[in-house]
Amino acid sequence: MKLSVNGPKILVRITALYEKLGGIFGNLVTQTTVSIFLVTLILIIAAWALTRRLSKRPGRVQVVVEKLVGMLYNLVSDTMGKHNLKFAPYIGTIFLSSICGTLIGMTQIFRSTTGDLSVTAAWALVTTGMVWYNNIKNFGFKAWLRGFTEPIVVMTPMNIVSEIASPVSMAFRHFGNVAGGSVLTALIYGALSAATHALFSWLPDAVLSVFPPILQVGIPAFLSIYFDLFSGFVQAFVFSLLTMVYVGGACPPPEEIPERPRKKRKKDAA
Amino acid sequence: MELFLNEFESFVGVNFWTMIFAWCNLIILYVFLRKLLFKPVKKMIDDRQREIDDMYAGAEKNEADAARLKAEYEEKLSSAEAESEDIIRTATRRAQLKEEEILRDAGVEAARIIERAEEEITLEKRRIINEAKDEVSDIALGIARAVIERDIDRAEHDKLIDDFISGMGDGND
Repeated sequence: MKLSVNGPKILVRITALYEKLGGIFGNLVTQTTVSIFLVTLILIIAAWALTRRLSKRPGRVQVVVEKLVGMLYNLVSDTMGKHNLKFAPYIGTIFLSSICGTLIGMTQIFRSTTGDLSVTAAWALVTTGMVWYNNIKNFGFKAWLRGFTEPIVVMTPMNIVSEIASPVSMAFRHFGNVAGGSVLTALIYGALSAATHALFSWLPDAVLSVFPPILQVGIPAFLSIYFDLFSGFVQAFVFSLLTMVYVGGACPPPEEIPERPRKKRKKDAA
Repeated sequence: MELFLNEFESFVGVNFWTMIFAWCNLIILYVFLRKLLFKPVKKMIDDRQREIDDMYAGAEKNEADAARLKAEYEEKLSSAEAESEDIIRTATRRAQLKEEEILRDAGVEAARIIERAEEEITLEKRRIINEAKDEVSDIALGIARAVIERDIDRAEHDKLIDDFISGMGDGND
């Protein structure tokens, strides 16, 4: 029996680009792309359907939605501070994208978006971009660069490495958990299929070849609760939390941001 | 361009286009979810919270108003009590004054009546005495006429008797 662990299937390849630049730029659409768009579509439709009839006296659905949104805002407020509540929609978006992207893999038809390093890397880079942008916006470019030489100049290489390491670790942590889960699930399915064959080897070969791997019923469901539901939730939470912590660190309360006269003059002029 | 290849990407690898699609979808999702989900729901929560706060503030204000009014009324009530006491006291005093006045007037009146009665009595007494004098003088005159059998001058006679009686009255009074 052969069991292969593959990346996403390639659906559209631009041959010219592929020949010149290889798979990174040549493969336009993969299974992951389909899942990404599907997740976007599902979430937009769900958001539209859930908030279609908002009223001051909420129904059951609205109570749940309000509770969840309230939890999100509370979490952002607790982690990043009240002044950073404007980031709550982004945090919620990344959380929902992550958890739905993971759960869509449970269909076995679509591949988890977060099981593709490209996606988690893209999200992690967004986090890093937000951190850098806010650092430069709040403290100035020079102060941001100077931050790398603190506490002492010798630490500079290590600071740079840690700055690069944080998005890499975020991307790989999320990707690894989801992809690892899917690999384990595939292995379990394979093992259960083999076990079924071993258990019913007394049947005639003609029957055995079409005999369903009945041991696959049940056991993977319990593993899926851990690897897809629990792990998916935890990873989405961890990714959102890390984004909040990093971006929150770059956005201190307004009173702690040092005054920069140059910036102020620019604002007055505008 | 090739479609639906029977090929897979590497398990751990990065695809430039997938990243672009991930970013695009993240932006789309962010815009839509913010507009459809987070903003309206958060607004609804905040609006309701504000409404509840307003209601509580209104209730507290009403309660304070009620307490203020109650205190006001109580104060008014107590002042009214004091006022009524005052009125009663004034009325009592006035009544006492009136009583005293009436009593005094009555005393005066009674005194006056007594005085007048005494005057009347005196006058009556005098009249009766005069009548008695006249009668006595008539009797005396009769007796004297009978005694001396001659008529004396009436005026002289009256004078004689008056002098006699007044001399007698003086002695008796």
